[in-house]
Amino acid sequence: MPDWQELVRQRLSSLALDAEEKDEVQVELATHLEETHECLRKEGLCEADAMQRTLAQVGDWHNLRRRILIAKRKGHLMKKRLHQLWIPGFLTLILSMLVLTAFQKLGFQPRIAVSRPNTIFFYVPWLLSLPFCGALATYLSSRAGGSRGTAVLASVFPVLALTGAFLSMFPIGSILGRIMGRRVGFSDVATTLLTDGVGWLLVPGVALLAGGVLVHLLFSGRPSSQNPVIG
Amino acid sequence: MIGSGIKRGTAELAILSVLEEGPLHGYEMARRIEEQTKGALRFTLAALYPMLYRMEQRGWIRGAWEISHSGRRKRCYRLTPAGKKKLSPLRKEWAELFSALKRLTKVSHA
Repeated sequence: MPDWQELVRQRLSSLALDAEEKDEVQVELATHLEETHECLRKEGLCEADAMQRTLAQVGDWHNLRRRILIAKRKGHLMKKRLHQLWIPGFLTLILSMLVLTAFQKLGFQPRIAVSRPNTIFFYVPWLLSLPFCGALATYLSSRAGGSRGTAVLASVFPVLALTGAFLSMFPIGSILGRIMGRRVGFSDVATTLLTDGVGWLLVPGVALLAGGVLVHLLFSGRPSSQNPVIG
Repeated sequence: MIGSGIKRGTAELAILSVLEEGPLHGYEMARRIEEQTKGALRFTLAALYPMLYRMEQRGWIRGAWEISHSGRRKRCYRLTPAGKKKLSPLRKEWAELFSALKRLTKVSHA
């Protein structure tokens, strides 16, 4: 009788799962093949036929490996993305917007950096709070096992969301302008993009990133049991 | 040719239905389905396990290791409350599909 455990181990050796999960899959599939083979032998098939029919249960090992990986990883990936990017990102976005609203309600006035020809506003207290928001996002993402890139992306998430909103506002504004009979020139759009881009996107983005990078440097300096060992 | 969506739906219904009767491991499950459908539905290892893992990820079934009478380690699958909840609308959907097909084929034979 063939060693099914060894056969499956060899065929699925490159299955990209963690060691424990891979071992469980290999044992489970080997046991299935072992039982199939035993049953076929009991039915009276000769060893060669039983072996052939048992192996026909799999056919293409490469395809099986791929399908197991997709089935096992799909849920993992979605959960990981949710905890490493979406939750920290949206929390930071909500927090930064709440802080901005609170400062506005408290009567803090924006600082005007450039008044002519176009105005650039800076909410200084809000900008000063953003590194903490960025830091929180990076902390949450890193704690959920997020990579450096994911943590940075989570920290600047509010700015990415604002960029999306800004970019979608321009075509809508242009259409509304045409309906209302106002001509919106390219230079108007470009200047507004530039000034608002600096005040609402670039500088806040740098502030968020500063907090995120600082926390990342602090955490990456420490040995962590959560970081997977590669190699 | 039967589309992959229909195939998957049939397989999910078969697995959930057979697990409703009690916990089973993969090999037993395949045998039970084959026996109960008189050979109309057959699961090879390559079709069964990716399906079981996907259903486990969705939370419809849960696998746990057990030692069998023969001393083998086997992963036994059970229906979860989410799986039980899924089974009823799935049965209804398939019943509707079959009755629609039945009606359709009667019309075309007339």
